[in-house]
Amino acid sequence: MKLKRTILAIALILVTMTASAATFRYATIAEPPSLDQHVLTSDQATTIAQHVFEGLYTFNKSYDPIPMLVEKESISADGKTIALTLRQGVKFHNGKEMTSADVVASLNRWGVYGVRGPVLFEHIQKVEASSKYVVTLVFKNVFAPWKTLLAFINGGPVIYPEEIAKPAGKQPIPETQYIGTGPYRFVQRNPGRFILLEKFKDYVARTDAADGYGGKRVAQFDQIQFIPVNDVGTRVNGVKAGDYDYAEQISGDLYEMLSGDASVKTLLNEGVIMPLMFFDSSDGPFVGNYKLRVAVLTALNTTAALQAAVGPKNLWSANGSIMPKGTSWFNSAGLENYSPNNAARAKALAAEAGYKGEKIVFMVSSAYKMHNDIGLVFTKQLKDAGFNIDLQVYDWATLVSKRGDGKQWDMFFTHHGFVPDPILFSFMSEAYPGWWASPEKKALSQTFTSTLDQKKRLETWTQIQKLMYEQVPVLKVGDVYTYDIYSPKVQDLGETQLIWPKFWNVSFK
Amino acid sequence: MSGFLKMLRSRKIAIAGLAFLGFIVLMALLAPLVAPINPLDMDPANRLLPPGKGHIFGTDNFGRDIWSRVVYGARTSLISSVGVVLFSVSIGIFVGLVAGYFKALNAPFMRLIDVMMAFPSLLLALVLMTIFGRGMVNVILAVGITYLTRTTRIVYGMTLKLKEEVYIEAFRSAGASDLRLLLKHIFPNLTSPVIVQATFTFAFSLLDMASLDFLGLGLPPEIPSWGNMLSEGSIYLARAPWMLLIPGLFIVLTVLSFNLVGDVLRDQVDPRFRHDIKGV
Amino acid sequence: MLKFVLRRIVGMIPSLFLVSVLVFGFVHLIPGDPIQILLGDLATPEQVAAVREEMGLDKPIWVQYGKWIAGVVTGDMGNSIFFGQSVLSVIGNRAETSILLALLTLLLILFIGIPVGYLSATRYGTKLDQSISGISMGFASIPTFWLGLTLMTFFAVKLKWLPSSGFPSIFQSGNWGNLRYLILPAITLSAPNSALIIRLTRASMLDVFKEDYVRTARAKGLREPVVNVFHVFRNSMNSLVSALGFTFAGLVSGTVVTETVFSLPGIGKLVVDSVLRRDYPVIQGIILCIALLYMAINLLVDIAYGWLDPRIRYS
Repeated sequence: MKLKRTILAIALILVTMTASAATFRYATIAEPPSLDQHVLTSDQATTIAQHVFEGLYTFNKSYDPIPMLVEKESISADGKTIALTLRQGVKFHNGKEMTSADVVASLNRWGVYGVRGPVLFEHIQKVEASSKYVVTLVFKNVFAPWKTLLAFINGGPVIYPEEIAKPAGKQPIPETQYIGTGPYRFVQRNPGRFILLEKFKDYVARTDAADGYGGKRVAQFDQIQFIPVNDVGTRVNGVKAGDYDYAEQISGDLYEMLSGDASVKTLLNEGVIMPLMFFDSSDGPFVGNYKLRVAVLTALNTTAALQAAVGPKNLWSANGSIMPKGTSWFNSAGLENYSPNNAARAKALAAEAGYKGEKIVFMVSSAYKMHNDIGLVFTKQLKDAGFNIDLQVYDWATLVSKRGDGKQWDMFFTHHGFVPDPILFSFMSEAYPGWWASPEKKALSQTFTSTLDQKKRLETWTQIQKLMYEQVPVLKVGDVYTYDIYSPKVQDLGETQLIWPKFWNVSFK
Repeated sequence: MSGFLKMLRSRKIAIAGLAFLGFIVLMALLAPLVAPINPLDMDPANRLLPPGKGHIFGTDNFGRDIWSRVVYGARTSLISSVGVVLFSVSIGIFVGLVAGYFKALNAPFMRLIDVMMAFPSLLLALVLMTIFGRGMVNVILAVGITYLTRTTRIVYGMTLKLKEEVYIEAFRSAGASDLRLLLKHIFPNLTSPVIVQATFTFAFSLLDMASLDFLGLGLPPEIPSWGNMLSEGSIYLARAPWMLLIPGLFIVLTVLSFNLVGDVLRDQVDPRFRHDIKGV
Repeated sequence: MLKFVLRRIVGMIPSLFLVSVLVFGFVHLIPGDPIQILLGDLATPEQVAAVREEMGLDKPIWVQYGKWIAGVVTGDMGNSIFFGQSVLSVIGNRAETSILLALLTLLLILFIGIPVGYLSATRYGTKLDQSISGISMGFASIPTFWLGLTLMTFFAVKLKWLPSSGFPSIFQSGNWGNLRYLILPAITLSAPNSALIIRLTRASMLDVFKEDYVRTARAKGLREPVVNVFHVFRNSMNSLVSALGFTFAGLVSGTVVTETVFSLPGIGKLVVDSVLRRDYPVIQGIILCIALLYMAINLLVDIAYGWLDPRIRYS
């Protein structure tokens, strides 16, 4: 009896020893690298960094770019000179006020060394500070998606203080220099344990109502801890046990079970994930042989692949439109070649294309279960249609290094996150493995970026999509939705989560 | 009298173990007859079916038949685990004996083992895969080296101790050669710890290969093995526990049988044992 | 004795040197680029090459090795490419978890493994022995992640007696109560390892039973437990000590599954993650530390051999 009471007493003490109430604990799927948004495109890093750093623009609920650190913009008649007026009184975490000098230094560093920076800067002649609060962008030619590129924070131009941005080079800035303008400030990184953010007391919020990522941002938590918890079972148990308040990316097959569980809440992420299969345009059987690529597509059944890899029907859609449903870019051009699931016709097409059973190297990474699973299903389907597929499964680092050399592969598998404008797609760059650079593509992308007329851009995008189903640089397998879970004591998370989960304007009950 | 009965009883259980091992081996050999469904056939519409009609052990996340995969997986798993055991035990005994017996070789061999112990099998697997490409031999080597060092350490320790024993000294002064001493008098005394180590190597290597599979460093993913069934099943633990429990059960039973048979083997190698133990 | 220890310590230097060369060669042999992993999917080959150059990763391999080993000798293992922090602080942070967890697990193993193994040996051939044998082999073959998740579901989610996962530093907070985070992982790890110790205790005790001096002791009329404890058990310690030694070393360096399931910041997971990220300086640093640990433990085990069995002499 006495023993039992002692155990209960100990248990009670253990339970009450949990972290203080104002700390929000977020279980991440993996340890993020550096938080320097300019030179990195890790989604894990962006989820954390967006609380610390801010850009000139951001996105509203419907993923249109809206001002963030910018007050207003004025565009010259020829569309080549854009003056951005900054908000006044915005404070960095080191207490300094943000001015045009900081913005110019940050944009220049991003434009030269940033991952996505050169996409914008190849069209820019110069960036200059016209006055303390006005920055002017002078373009060489009209470049339509400039605002989207400024708003896209992942690999994007967040604003650092001049004294940090100016000397910064190719390498990520060290964590002692994580100084931004966001509602939370960076405190500490304890590798393997957590990244700790703290409410920034001098944060100056926008006054317009919150809308998507934009508008008024209020830090309700005293602290946020981002804790790496790799195993999905542990993330689920951790939220149920009260050790974490929020856990990202839970497996599809647990969705139905967790949706009916009172101890957790599920939250769909609207940022769609697009599994992609790339074809090598530099070396091997697919060079110039568009018919063979179409033959490969003809053998595939994406519904079966998505079902096997993701599970519940509401978490995926076998959608061949490159941009997902609900966006203005959605269209059905070229879709007759999407997932015909016809092995006989695939065989005939392959024969017509001159395919005689040459080995096709298909690289897949085991680092992502979805890649691995879809890769296995596709391999089976293609083998059944007579293709001689050599499936090679690697860890992610090996795959990334091998895919840089076109001689080592013919197809590889990866995925792409949601982007608000197709210009941000990896395959739109000719430097991305696969190296799609046909004259037809070049001509269309030239038109696509150089007009400010949105209607014409939409039309051009439709033509690009049609071309993508003829030249097949890449197959988009479909749309996959992820979901997160959180503790019922968290409120104001809304109906769905944005691409990168954000936690300003969110609080405990 | 009672000792005889005890022995018989232990034999009876061992017979069951032997029978199970025989069953597994037979199942692996006759795979196409025992499992009519192709283990690679996918049917996503019928994924994650619980054990029942049509699929006696249910289906996995691709809608593949788990019974067929268990049957075909037995082939790969048995071959690779036995490979790890043979590799680690044979080389381990040799190096351990030689290093323990000959004083001059003590230090260099054991320092080399020290060096090898520091390398995790994951790193070795990556290096081997880079050099030789993917395949079963690599997996056996990468996993085997970890256990090789352990077996060597044990044999080395035992040899050091045994060679100082009175009766070994006696044989030596009677003019027995080093080779004879090693093979006839020291080696037989190592059998029991080595058999214990071998049984554990068998059990642990099945699980180790599962984790290599999981990182994409094991066998090619299309080939079914108990290891990769286990690692795939771990993700579906809450949703489809049979995906984990069925290959897990086969691993547990195989390891158990292996152990029971190993015990008997040990007693037979050491005939004096029976008599000595009677009084205990 | 002292001379022996000193000689062994000096003897570690060439071994460590060999480890350093091998690990350096290995990490540079495997394909993959730490900079590409750091910068992400979209970084172009030019951007990657520029950063490689800045970090000196484009230099000939022997130049890089020379620079690294010169640093190591002075106690500087460089900076982690992924974290940007010093390798020593990254490893030190993880070592706390791994060493505490290994000690806790070893304690459990000793308390379970040796008594149960002893019981099994002295009741050789009985039903009890058979069941212990069966149950321990069962535990040895249970997948760790299954056992771990099951314990977690029961004790953390249902009963809420213990935290589910993670391990806040004790050295940074001074709060020894954080040890409760390691209870479930230690139980998980002790299951397969106790099985090994049970079997080894049993096997080596049975071997000693047949030795002459045991027969003599028995013939002298000594009581059974006295013979068992003082003669048999002490003499069977030899192989046990060796097994316990590298069980401990294995627990410090290779418990990646348990660390993943319980989300512990330990050495095992750091090795795997660093290999997957190709974080060269961290891999090199850890392997050197692990090598040092194994060598130290082997030395201790050898010293214990001599202590337990005076017939073995080191000169």
